[in-house]
Amino acid sequence: MNMVLALVLLPIIAAFLVLLVPFGRAQYAVSGAVLALLSGVAFALYNSFGIFTFQLSPIMNIMIVAADVVLLLFFLYQGKVFNHPKVMALAAVQLVLYGYIESIVPAAGTAEIVVDELSKFMFLIINGVGGIIVLYSVKYMEDEPTSPLKKRLFIGALLVFLSVMNLIVVANSILLFFFLFEMTTLASYLLIAFRDDEVSRANALKALWMNQIGGVVILVGALIAIIGFKTVMFDTLLQSSGGMVLFSIALLSMAALVKGASIPFEGWLLGAMVAPTPVSAMLHSATMVKIAPYLILKLSPALAVSMVGGMISIIGALVFVAASYLALSRSVLKEILGYSTVALLGLMMALAAIGSEESINLAMALMLFHALSKALLFLSAGVLERVHHAKNIEEMKGMVSRSPKTVGFILFGFVSLTLPPFGLFMGKLFAISSVASLLKEHPSNLIILLALIVGSALMVLLYFKVASALLSAPCDVEVSPAIVIPNGFNVPLVLLSVFIVIGALGYIMMQHNIFVVMLALPMVFVFALPAIVRRMDRYDRSQPYHCGEKEPFDAALVYYAPSEKIEKIVYWGFGFLFVAVAIIGAVS
Amino acid sequence: MIWVWIALAPILGGLAYGGERVLRARMQRRQGPPILQPFYDMFKLLDKRTLIVHAPHALLALAHFFVLWFSIAAIFLGWNLLYIIFLHLFAQILLILAGYSVRSVYSHLGSNRELLMVVAYEPILILVAVGLYLVSGSFEIAEILTRDHYLLQLPLLFIALVMIVPIKVKKSPFDVGEAHQEIVGGVEIEYSGVFYEFLYMSRFLEYIFIYSFVYLFGGESHWIGAVLVAGVFLLVNLVDNATARVRASHMVKIIYSVAMSLAVLNLLGILL
Repeated sequence: MNMVLALVLLPIIAAFLVLLVPFGRAQYAVSGAVLALLSGVAFALYNSFGIFTFQLSPIMNIMIVAADVVLLLFFLYQGKVFNHPKVMALAAVQLVLYGYIESIVPAAGTAEIVVDELSKFMFLIINGVGGIIVLYSVKYMEDEPTSPLKKRLFIGALLVFLSVMNLIVVANSILLFFFLFEMTTLASYLLIAFRDDEVSRANALKALWMNQIGGVVILVGALIAIIGFKTVMFDTLLQSSGGMVLFSIALLSMAALVKGASIPFEGWLLGAMVAPTPVSAMLHSATMVKIAPYLILKLSPALAVSMVGGMISIIGALVFVAASYLALSRSVLKEILGYSTVALLGLMMALAAIGSEESINLAMALMLFHALSKALLFLSAGVLERVHHAKNIEEMKGMVSRSPKTVGFILFGFVSLTLPPFGLFMGKLFAISSVASLLKEHPSNLIILLALIVGSALMVLLYFKVASALLSAPCDVEVSPAIVIPNGFNVPLVLLSVFIVIGALGYIMMQHNIFVVMLALPMVFVFALPAIVRRMDRYDRSQPYHCGEKEPFDAALVYYAPSEKIEKIVYWGFGFLFVAVAIIGAVS
Repeated sequence: MIWVWIALAPILGGLAYGGERVLRARMQRRQGPPILQPFYDMFKLLDKRTLIVHAPHALLALAHFFVLWFSIAAIFLGWNLLYIIFLHLFAQILLILAGYSVRSVYSHLGSNRELLMVVAYEPILILVAVGLYLVSGSFEIAEILTRDHYLLQLPLLFIALVMIVPIKVKKSPFDVGEAHQEIVGGVEIEYSGVFYEFLYMSRFLEYIFIYSFVYLFGGESHWIGAVLVAGVFLLVNLVDNATARVRASHMVKIIYSVAMSLAVLNLLGILL
């Protein structure tokens, strides 16, 4: 229990330290220490056994209620200040609902805090990956054109956010979960608006109102749980049966779809790309959005055999394909990464909602490896943005000659997402055979299988299309000396790459299958090849063939954009499916 | 014994390739080259001065060949079909990266098209694996070859597979990847001498790779398998002589609409 407390309190203490110590060495020392401590504690917890529970004292409960009311009032105020009716309306609805729920909430119940295996696994992702991102953000913020106080507040906010995340994955009370869910919404809102220009503000407000829909459905779900089963605890609710239990569960899973930015809510996550890169990496790819699959995993005992679960997994699978396809029309690197995050979150939710033991394990593995690879990709994208001022993949043509190291990291990220023997690929591979083995009992899984296969193929196209831009260099570019990447950026990237490799090794060993080990051989061979074939300088060099043309060449990138009509159908379709979850929950 | 076959795989593929050139020539009432022509080409290529653009580009061709050979070995050893498909994908990605790594328009266009080809055939290959799994209960080739009656249960899936064979062996109407008249061989263009020889041999291995999938539909009967392979081989060359190349994007559309629907219909038929 002390260790869990440490995970919650340490980041807050560090946040205060960050506000005090000067930039430079001291900041690195603080964030490095936080990373080491947090990931050490998380790892120790992961290897420990048993489930801990913890009851909150009445005073703490009252403080949470007060904080929650203040938070909702703040949202209401923000809606008024920026004249945003949707934000105001949703905040008002939540205030009313929350007030009513607090007036009828049953006094006694099981413990509010439960640390189970799933929470311990989440600690690993949050603290390991999150810690690395904090370390990276120190260097990133040094170069941000803003006041020193704001820089410190930014890093502090990231740290406080880690503490919120550590708490949300142990919340057993739906109301406590709601409070922390709103806290993450607040974090999104504040950090997206950080640069405080028109676009940032608009996107932040968009994130605010969309995420509040999640808040509303959680509250309605909690209300039903209280009226039907006299409980606000996840564990009691999951053990109940009959009545409206599935309706309550369905509403809670809808919150996951919102937080996971499934289409039609993907707008807020893509809008978040205007924020400084550590925000995109931390909140919108590596950690915060993982609440979505986490929540589905938590609910999976109830979802597993129900129509609601079937619906969620179909939505997730369709999102996987649709988001990968939509990404093919984009040209801003962060947006492409954002879409692929949306897609993979859909896949994780689909697997989690199937609810068999195997698919749950796969969803968890995908979460971990996705967090590592996406953090690596986002942070590399941040380096390109900071050091080379390139955001759009059209501007990145030939980046390999200017920044070979960064391009290497990005290519490694792509490879780790698509090829054997890396974790994410393995997850997809096992998912195919796992879903195929379920086909005979549930033919509806064919939709998930198809989505998985086609979506993976589209992702290969997507990633290597970006790779083509990075590698292609127009002839007329003068070979400029490669710009050195500062160590503040280098260290986090190397750490992530090392974790990806270690993760892959661990995952392979866990399978106890000699063939899976053999699957890793070709990758080892490819990396060893330059050492095996050494004397390449005995071959003469030649210029590429241009068919006698002297014109400088510019290789075009491929884009596939759906027509407006199809896009509309897709959005309406997914909107309809989203509502259908609630309807199915209500009738079943 | 099996290791001997694995070691001989490029030679077997070379013979298939040589045989195919003879077959096509006869279809066009030409004399055609001798069946051993691919091997004569090999000696000629090894004798040539090797020019390379840069070292990684040349090494990627080597890597492509050996990873492909590894996946062929996995087929002969009777491994899991899904692993084999993804090992093959890995080999393909190496080739695509090789194409992107040089500043040549044709090489880039070739890589773009290779990528589209992967997107087109990959889902069908996996669906074929799933279909075989549903009938036999296993993804392992060794296991699949002990059962029977695949063709009776998976006729539409077999047609889908036949549709993607021309993509893999680069035959009309789906030979967009090399398309000599348009993009001068695509990815192959910047290779010469010994490194080109490796790419040339990879092509032989591709024959073995894709026709092994055809062979699997014969199940435990070697005869049915052999007849299927011979039949598809003839059919693909006949179609090659009779059709014109389609655009790369049309290829993806045709495969996704026709072949995918056939495969899905067939799977639904088994499941329901």
